[in-house]
Amino acid sequence: MTTTTLDRDRLWEVSSRTIVYSAIGAALYGILLVAQVPIPGTTVSVRPAFALVPFFGYAFGPIVGFFTGLVGNMIGDQISGWGALTSWNWSIANGLVGLIAGLAPLYLSRWTNGSLRDRAIGGAVAGVIALLIGFLFVFTDNILQGIDIGTILTTLYIPVIVADIIATVILVPILVYAWEPVKAQLGR
Amino acid sequence: MNIAPRYLGRGSWLARRDPRVLILVVALFIFTVLQVWDLRILLGLLALAVVYYRSAGIPWRYIRRNWAVVFVFIGTLVVVNTIIAGGTTETVSLDEAHVIFRLPLIGTPMSAESLSNGVTLFFRYLTMATIGFPVAFAVAPSDFGIAFRRLGVPDKFAFGVDLTFRFLPSLAADFQRTVDAQRIRGYDWSAGAGRGVLTRLRRSTPVLVPTVVNAIAGAEDTIDAMDLRAFGTGRRSWLRELRYDANDRLLLLAFAALLFAFTVLGFAGITSELYVFPFLLDAAGA
Repeated sequence: MTTTTLDRDRLWEVSSRTIVYSAIGAALYGILLVAQVPIPGTTVSVRPAFALVPFFGYAFGPIVGFFTGLVGNMIGDQISGWGALTSWNWSIANGLVGLIAGLAPLYLSRWTNGSLRDRAIGGAVAGVIALLIGFLFVFTDNILQGIDIGTILTTLYIPVIVADIIATVILVPILVYAWEPVKAQLGR
Repeated sequence: MNIAPRYLGRGSWLARRDPRVLILVVALFIFTVLQVWDLRILLGLLALAVVYYRSAGIPWRYIRRNWAVVFVFIGTLVVVNTIIAGGTTETVSLDEAHVIFRLPLIGTPMSAESLSNGVTLFFRYLTMATIGFPVAFAVAPSDFGIAFRRLGVPDKFAFGVDLTFRFLPSLAADFQRTVDAQRIRGYDWSAGAGRGVLTRLRRSTPVLVPTVVNAIAGAEDTIDAMDLRAFGTGRRSWLRELRYDANDRLLLLAFAALLFAFTVLGFAGITSELYVFPFLLDAAGA
């Protein structure tokens, strides 16, 4: 399976490679969630680890991206003691981010099939698009918990989007630049 | 660096249950609580959740901090929601609400309904968190894969969950090794306090990038090992066998019955109506 130049036909392939990359992505995301950079003057923290979700989706496909976000967020909740299933809709939202980023060959083919620079930029763009759409799922808290839409927007959605966009835009291109030469060496 | 789920409830009555029970109970109970807006009934569900939680035997001293985080998070969310709601609820507009006072400076009305809603919302979250904690601490990490498989998740993905838990200690060790290696080269992982967000984020790359790339490159051995063992070519067997015993069936039946009962009561409007505290109505002059 190639990375960042996935054929559309192979986007949904589930092989041993898919499972192992998914497990690694989820484990790394869960582990590295402990590292956070607070934004001064706010209650929001930038999570560098979040960049792994769109990166794994963009590099290895929508299934890997979905698993990384979904299971990675569950692992993070499990480690913190919140419980893997307590915020299941947030785990799904994280998974959707990875899934949508993994579909980049469908809507960003010019970038994913271009030069290394194009692919790095495409990763950032795919990550931002995936974030904005994927985290819309957290508005289900309005139906599930009865939380006001305005509260979800101002307290949850916007802070998470802002923080994660910063991490995504900076770190995803760096990860793509770092991974591509290694991938070429491995012959993947 | 030891990053792994802590199996603190080991040996307790709840930990001896089939792991599927703990997962299913959370789902059943959360959907039960979501249908209840009457605080009087909600307190009963909270009491049930506390009994369930106590049966997990999780030592308090190890999770005090977790609970503190839960309380702060829930409290903040509820307070902000109450302020933004501005005296209204999902079913009560400002014209119908009984305003008690207005917040100084911002002038946001606080009504008997919105305050009752806030308190109820707090206890809903608390009840769900209480039932969720045993999943975090009373299920053996090695049981998640087989539990999800027996709940219908396809073999490959259930194995993926298992593999994720197995990777946790080794990847955490790799991460620590990377931090140490970079430190020897003059990089300080913990430095940068007081600098800008972007600077600190960029400073995380000497640790984040090698960890990620090494983990992915090192996956080739695992992939080859799985392929050599014909992973995915046939139905997978699991070392651990899961069987419900009488206690497991009883527990599942009880929570399923609870969900059914509260669904019926919810549709009948008995539990789904917000309970507004009489003393708040009195304060509003109602």
